[in-house]
Amino acid sequence: MKKKRNNEQETKEAKDEWEGEFIKSKDYTITNYRNQKSHLQFHLTFMSTLVDEQILQQSALPYLLEGDLQTIEDVKELIPLADVDVSNDKTKIEQNLMNGYVMITLENQKDQFAFIGSQKEISRGLTTPEIEFSVIGPKEAFVESIGQNLNLIRKRLPVKELIIEEITLGSLSKTRIAMLYMDGITNEENVNTVRQRLKNVEFDAITDSSYIVQLIADNSNSPFPQLLDSERPDRVAGTLAEGKIAIVVDGSPHVLITPTTLIEFFSSFEDYFLNWILSSFFRLIRVGAVLFSLLITPIYVAVLSYHYELIPIDLLGTLVASRRQIPLPPILEALFLELTIELLREAGARLPTKVGQTIGIVGGIVIGTASVEAGLTSNILLIIVALAALASFTTPVYKMGNTIRFLRFPFLLFAELWGLLGIVYAFCILITHLIRLTSLGRPFLEPLYPPRITDLKDSFIRLPFKFQSKRPLFLRTKKQERYNEKKAKAKIGIDIDE
Amino acid sequence: MPEQPIADKFKISPFLVLYMIMSMQIGIGVLGYQRIIVAEAKNDAWISVLVAGFALQFILWMIYKINETVNGDIVTAHIYVAGNFVGKLLSSIFIIYYFILSLTVQRSYLEVIQVWMFPKMSIFWYTLAYMILCIYIIYGGFRTVVGIAFFGLVLPSYLFPIFGFSLSLGEVNHLLPIFEQSIKDILLGAYKMSLTFIGFEVVLFFYPFIKEPKKSKKWAHLGLLLTTLIYTCIMIITITYFSMDLLAKSIWASLSMWKIVNFPFVERFEYIGIATWSLVILPNICIALWISSRLMKRIFNLQQKKGVIFIAMATLFAINFFPTRVEVNLLNNLTAKAGFVFTFIYIPLLFIAVMIAKKVKKT
Repeated sequence: MKKKRNNEQETKEAKDEWEGEFIKSKDYTITNYRNQKSHLQFHLTFMSTLVDEQILQQSALPYLLEGDLQTIEDVKELIPLADVDVSNDKTKIEQNLMNGYVMITLENQKDQFAFIGSQKEISRGLTTPEIEFSVIGPKEAFVESIGQNLNLIRKRLPVKELIIEEITLGSLSKTRIAMLYMDGITNEENVNTVRQRLKNVEFDAITDSSYIVQLIADNSNSPFPQLLDSERPDRVAGTLAEGKIAIVVDGSPHVLITPTTLIEFFSSFEDYFLNWILSSFFRLIRVGAVLFSLLITPIYVAVLSYHYELIPIDLLGTLVASRRQIPLPPILEALFLELTIELLREAGARLPTKVGQTIGIVGGIVIGTASVEAGLTSNILLIIVALAALASFTTPVYKMGNTIRFLRFPFLLFAELWGLLGIVYAFCILITHLIRLTSLGRPFLEPLYPPRITDLKDSFIRLPFKFQSKRPLFLRTKKQERYNEKKAKAKIGIDIDE
Repeated sequence: MPEQPIADKFKISPFLVLYMIMSMQIGIGVLGYQRIIVAEAKNDAWISVLVAGFALQFILWMIYKINETVNGDIVTAHIYVAGNFVGKLLSSIFIIYYFILSLTVQRSYLEVIQVWMFPKMSIFWYTLAYMILCIYIIYGGFRTVVGIAFFGLVLPSYLFPIFGFSLSLGEVNHLLPIFEQSIKDILLGAYKMSLTFIGFEVVLFFYPFIKEPKKSKKWAHLGLLLTTLIYTCIMIITITYFSMDLLAKSIWASLSMWKIVNFPFVERFEYIGIATWSLVILPNICIALWISSRLMKRIFNLQQKKGVIFIAMATLFAINFFPTRVEVNLLNNLTAKAGFVFTFIYIPLLFIAVMIAKKVKKT
């Protein structure tokens, strides 16, 4: 700024009672200028950390200095920016300044303020999705800026039905939160529930969408995530079209989707890019992997602690041979290895990428081999635990993968307590918990329970698009039909005459 | 007392009645009902099963008729027939009946565990764990109970094809000649069989929770039919697999049949079967506990959440009085007799009473 604080005396005169609070902060800036035509003095007040000075220099100041500035209303006409507002509401000052507005006051009209929107938008460029990476399909991922994220979604659904509602939450963070839904498709009741729950949020600093997940979830004492978070704009657009609601939080590269079901957490958006046979196959593999990951170590502990008769004699020989030197009981052996894997995962997640890779190799190969050679664990269990860990990473949604890994430990405990009976008991508790769980009041286990055969078309398997002409039942959408089945013309071969 | 209407969100779809009925019917009995029926009807035992199954369709029809006439559950029916005080008195008998039923199922299952898996299994601790699970389920409301009935039937259904292993070793000649036994023996077998079939009468208690009760009728009858077919299939497989003398000594014939199942990675399949069975009996116990506590609420206005804890604690206390097989058999016989009286004597009587009361009230 050219004439920055050229006249200390004048600045002090311009002060009103509202300034006192800001003046302490270093980035609070007040500058004075004189219009060249009317020789009227005016002040610019702004937070230098929030304002894009380029906009100020190029699109505001020249016009204010050279134009015919008589009253505060002239600012609106002089400045060629869309976001210009004049007000005499003093309560708006703090809020607007903190949102990156520049305030203009004239020396002869001290109770009127003009605000020019000149926010500095710092955002990193679009990158490829890192958690929900897909080989086929779009490679865009959300970033930390709400404007850009909304743009990414709106671009994919350029219709007037897509409604964006905005709300500011957090007494300190003043986080902008947008709720998106399709008018005329999404269930009103769902929209109202989300709106109400967002309004009821009382928290000081909301720095990520994960806060919102925990604050508005139906049951916050459940290890299961009840809102799906995605970093893929295509997934969000796709689910919006299905009739779900998306919540975009400023500063978070993860957009929330609700209501959701358990099975959705095991479907990757890539499934829709692949042929239905392949994607159904991969989904089944993933569901199998989850069950395997959850149950295999507990079964090992149960069988070797209580039911070794269960194992055929040939297999038993192999098992006994590998366990002959082991001094630990199966449960301790399993806990030791499971915890080692968790340590490796935790260390890998906390360390920088390159060091993390080294740790993975050191941990996986060196510790594993060494503990087998030292006779602490059997190599069969090492294989089982490693496979179980691998299987838990196939879950497309990271948060669900964490849940699955956590659930292994209660299962292990009950397996040690009552063998196979204990595993079934733990399973019963798990199922009961899942039956009781809801997402936005909609059953979480749907379409398994309550059983709805039509919704199975996109669950464990994904049927071809020609069978997907109806929206999922559990969303209770206003418009059930996605497209008119009859209008979709049958494919006609060129060289086949019928 | 007019019954409080049940909100729509607590009601279940009509077709779920099928799962409720089937999961209540299939319980501990499947593991060893064959010996008892075969003792009467020999190789024609499967006909007894069919006869009993079809006879029960008639009782089910009566149950629906009672419910439809009074448009409510059994308590409403009792009040309809006998007035408020006597009606409630009659209904409160069923609190005890379902309490004993859940106790019997729980204790019989523990008996199987003690004989086949863990001879020194602590009755108290396992019952405690199971009761905590049941309380957790019933706290979730009726929909959760139905959900458990659903999964308690669907998830263990993989056990059914396992009986196919025994089929490959079966001797079809065991079945022949058909109709060798006298009609009296077949009917006697059918009478014994009806005790295994008991469970469908729970409709009497949760009728007000069905969304469109009229539509649920066909599902209820279908469920009963499916159970009949399952029991018949297992009976036929059992007769072909066992010789009559061996079967007379097999207390848990179904478990014995699982013994021959083997996969490259599983040798003694019955261990898996028994463990899975705890999921099969879970709906039995849960529905019985739910009915008891629901009746408490209807009759004494006791909060259902408190009622469940009360009954669970009573179960935990009472189960210690049946330490050995002798007492368990005693309990089983008592429950079977009570069940027979309830299903085949009480329900037809109630049906007639309701029909008369309807006529009287009309004129």
